[in-house]
Amino acid sequence: MNNLYSSQSAKLPAFRKLRGYAFDPSLSLKLDTSAVNDLVYKVPWENVEPGPVGEYLEVLDYDPTTKEYYAPVNLDNAYVLAQDGLDPSESNPQFHQQMVYAVAMITIRHFEKSLGRKILWASRLLNYSEGKGYETYVKRLRIYPHALRDANAYYSPVKKAVLFGYFSAMPADETLQMPNSLVFTCLSHDIVAHEVTHALLDGMHRNYNEPSNADVLAFHEAFADIVALFQHFTFPDVLKHQIAKTRGDLASQNLLGQLAQQFGSSIGSYGSLRDALGHIDETTGKWVPTIPNVDDYRNIMEPHARGSILVAAVFEAFINIYKSRAADLLRIASNGTGILPLGELHPDLVNRLAGEAAKTAGHVLNMCIRALDYCPPVDITFGDYLRAIITADVELVADDSRDYRLAFIDAFRRRGIYPQGIKTLSIESLQQPMIDISFKATGKKLSFKDQSDQEKTQNDTGQLLLIIGTFLREYGNAIKYVSDREEIYDLTRLYIAGRTEKNKETQIQGLHDRLNIKFSSSKEFARITGLAFLEEYIDLGIKQSGKYLGPSFQIQNLRLVNRVGPEGNQINQVIFSIVQTSRLICRDGVFLPSSQKTEDETSFDFKGGCTLIFDLDSLQLKYAISKPLIDVDCFANQDKCLLNLQRLKAQYNFLNNDGGTDNGFQQGFSGPAFRSTEPFAFLHQH
Amino acid sequence: MTTISTEKVTRADIRMYRMGTGDCFIIKLFAGEKEKYKIMIDCGTWQGAEEKLVPYITDLKEYVGNTIDLLIVTHEHKDHVYVFEACEELFTKDFNIKNIWMAWTESDDDSKAQQWLKDFGDKKKALKKAANQMNKALQDPEFVNQFKDEKSGNELKAAREYFAGALNSFADLQFALKDGDYVGMLKGMEVVKKQIAEGNKIEIRYCHPGEIISNLPGAEGIRFYVLGPPLAWEQVKKESGGAGESYAHNNELAHSDAFAMAVLAEDKRELKNLLPFDTKYVSKDSKDQRQCYEDKANQWRNIDHDWLNSAGALALRVNSMTNNLSLALAIEFEDSGRVMLFPGDAEYGSWESWHNISWPQQDFTKDLLNRTVFYKVAHHLSHNGTAQRLGLEMMSHPDLAAMATLDYEIISSGWMSTMPNRALIDELLKRTKGRLMVMHEDGIPYDKASKQPLTNVILNARANMTEKERTDFNKSFVSKQLYLEYKVNGLSKKSVKARKKQQ
Repeated sequence: MNNLYSSQSAKLPAFRKLRGYAFDPSLSLKLDTSAVNDLVYKVPWENVEPGPVGEYLEVLDYDPTTKEYYAPVNLDNAYVLAQDGLDPSESNPQFHQQMVYAVAMITIRHFEKSLGRKILWASRLLNYSEGKGYETYVKRLRIYPHALRDANAYYSPVKKAVLFGYFSAMPADETLQMPNSLVFTCLSHDIVAHEVTHALLDGMHRNYNEPSNADVLAFHEAFADIVALFQHFTFPDVLKHQIAKTRGDLASQNLLGQLAQQFGSSIGSYGSLRDALGHIDETTGKWVPTIPNVDDYRNIMEPHARGSILVAAVFEAFINIYKSRAADLLRIASNGTGILPLGELHPDLVNRLAGEAAKTAGHVLNMCIRALDYCPPVDITFGDYLRAIITADVELVADDSRDYRLAFIDAFRRRGIYPQGIKTLSIESLQQPMIDISFKATGKKLSFKDQSDQEKTQNDTGQLLLIIGTFLREYGNAIKYVSDREEIYDLTRLYIAGRTEKNKETQIQGLHDRLNIKFSSSKEFARITGLAFLEEYIDLGIKQSGKYLGPSFQIQNLRLVNRVGPEGNQINQVIFSIVQTSRLICRDGVFLPSSQKTEDETSFDFKGGCTLIFDLDSLQLKYAISKPLIDVDCFANQDKCLLNLQRLKAQYNFLNNDGGTDNGFQQGFSGPAFRSTEPFAFLHQH
Repeated sequence: MTTISTEKVTRADIRMYRMGTGDCFIIKLFAGEKEKYKIMIDCGTWQGAEEKLVPYITDLKEYVGNTIDLLIVTHEHKDHVYVFEACEELFTKDFNIKNIWMAWTESDDDSKAQQWLKDFGDKKKALKKAANQMNKALQDPEFVNQFKDEKSGNELKAAREYFAGALNSFADLQFALKDGDYVGMLKGMEVVKKQIAEGNKIEIRYCHPGEIISNLPGAEGIRFYVLGPPLAWEQVKKESGGAGESYAHNNELAHSDAFAMAVLAEDKRELKNLLPFDTKYVSKDSKDQRQCYEDKANQWRNIDHDWLNSAGALALRVNSMTNNLSLALAIEFEDSGRVMLFPGDAEYGSWESWHNISWPQQDFTKDLLNRTVFYKVAHHLSHNGTAQRLGLEMMSHPDLAAMATLDYEIISSGWMSTMPNRALIDELLKRTKGRLMVMHEDGIPYDKASKQPLTNVILNARANMTEKERTDFNKSFVSKQLYLEYKVNGLSKKSVKARKKQQ
């Protein structure tokens, strides 16, 4: 098959067109929606083996419940190619494989577009052994389209695999679905996009699987829903159909704003699962939008329900931006009255409105994905995420003429989501503070007698950071033109871990080594990062590094961020995160290092982390986004450094009370070990 | 010959035997100081050897003079019937039971009930089989080796062991096993239905919601209202309502038919019938796929047993349904209107259905709840045992007292994470002013983080009683090693005064 296209001179196609459902099979049975439900996904072209198995994904259709393999689809088959893939069909597993592949690839594509780099899956973490090391590269996410017999689908961080289930339906509306027919979760665009997003997010922030506060798992869920939700807006036909139907008012009930139709309908609760934006009123049978309630963020702890608060906030921001962008069009179309004439909208107006909606959705989705680069590596809260959205946007877009940022802040405020530690709510205060180290790379060095002690250390730190910055620029240059994902992974590992060789030419001193040598007892660096780069780290429950003297810490997610803003401005940044773990016990309300553990006490981990953003143009550390492990204020007041009790107590109380696992399943069956290894397996149990 | 006194009942002494998490109640009805009628509700505990339980049952028999007028068995869960099995002889010999009541769903003649019970039996069978498969996998070195190289390998293994353990204890709670397989109803239930009922030649009365039973000989002045189990399947399935309905806990119940059938399939041929697709789609030559899946280097990604985790959802569902099949009764002193509520382990679906019963009067269920002065807390203080808006929030009587059968010494380990529910405790303490009596308070935390003991919280709540309330409570409440006892006054305040005047 391969030589069919390589032997001819025609260039490689940009896309592989694959047919699929825009939502899920149930909508194909309704007259008014069947037309928009059949969609042709334009998947970036790549060579695929039967499965499909490509660069990013391997679909392996093994069904452990029947112990059978279902025959894999060959997307390169001439007949399949010639008709844009197989016909949408519930009864053909080969179509299921095609659908999962198409939606997953589209989702990956969105991430790569927004982030401006190739995505990597989370690496497989190993028990350390000589030769294998601590982790290995995972080339492909594995997808099992028929792995469970349950109304469930989940991403397994341990197996780097997505498991989809199928189940016999118990529909709320028997006219929409045949009772006892099988429902396949892998045929729902939303579920596939949602689960793949979990995997993508895990590849960027692996500690977001650890529920250290009520927001962490909720964030995972919400973010996955946001991606699934806004992905709908990139399908022009669906968008136009819904705009025509709702007369341009996307805030009213419409298919675009609902998630996983069939899934919701068949487990018997009317409306859609995780319908964050509104619900059907039981008495009137009419759809009503959910009114934001400040108490919800305080009271709702179950991850999905809590996540839906965030989804609703982002959706509201989107709606308001869209409304302001579409206001002029509506005025033109209504002769300035703003009141549209009765009847159907003019197709040209529908086209223009759809254009605005698609553009807005594209921007919002971009903002949401980009923000991930500006999040702390552990213990994320919705407030942190809001700050990340604002910071990322300020970085890239200087002139926010449409007030996108305000729309976000307003929508979060209306739901009572406030970041901790800021005094007022404004764009300036939400943007992460820029690091101010008095040393300037270009400025002249002050003479020593002009400096106070503090200035001296700041100046030293500034110089050291400059050296790090220079090293990161080297990394940036080395990685810039590498397009093979495995090479990116290897090169990045190399710059983190370094390479010791006899030949000085090829020897590289890794980032980990450099940080350790320069900062392992630097109070100034400890203050910036909130991490225990201090001599007394042992007293804080932190292990000694396996390789060096000094505290152990992990470097995660070293990456080059290379983006062009709307005004042609360019940002060149290298970002990485440091995570530090303190192992503690709690004795009578006092936290002690786990080295003092007696037999009947159990230790627990408290993590701190910091995302450092270096600007490659100025070689300066620009932002340090920190979840402090230590009490940074203690430097000013006392000599002995303490753990950050505020965070520690909050985490301890959270984990020892309900732990956000307000779900009988988790309480009864999963136990602590399951929660740490398969956090999503039971989260989606319904 | 003694003449039967038709004097009306004025007091009930409620005794809770402290055998471990599980119910065993004796209600003695008195007219004045004259003992009139003896009711026994359930006899179960999570576990215990016969010799440990014998002292309790011996005491119980002595207390009732080896005669029970009415035995009520609420539902088939080990923590409600196990002692009938463990101490079978004590109940079948030298023990006289005159009447037995059960829920209508226990009747062998009711065709609707029988269909349910058959479907239910299949699900239970599947549950146990899934647990067995999980255990077998854990014995298989190849499966266990999958975890060896992973950083979280130990946790992965521990997680699966914990899960298998939880499944097994759920199975224990629900049904009888033989050589590790499901064989049928719990032995304790069988003892009641066969040995006790047939031995005493009693015809079991199967109660339906809406029935009002009064003027039982000996229990004059007492009226029984049957509240549950509901007649509609929908209600039986419902474990919890939304926010504000039951105490903050959400769990939709999934349909597990496809799962149960696959677990139950005995051989290749049966599995073939369960394929979700036409057989033409099954790989004829699955060499490439097989190679990829079975490759040793890829084994860490295999999913052979992950689907069995669905058994957890099934177990919860089976459990909730059985709880909702509880015979729930309101026992009323007809003159004063004071009510004692014994809901078994009814969950939200059952509570909700009580309000739809067509009583002769409107809103009568609400009225009954308003007049409740004694509440046997359903399901050992768990989040889903007590309805909020349609239950506890309607119990507004100033004399309300509550007993809960929770004991951390003898309990299923999985239960400790949901029992007690803090929100429920807060509400109960507020409404009862601290008249909450828990089987064994020792070791039960109120707040799991600060490990604040429940005892302290209860004592704090009691500190707010008025002087009169305290004296009354201290007079009514007896705590003994084998049991706790609480005297429920059946007279209204007005008639108490009237009586005093007469004297």
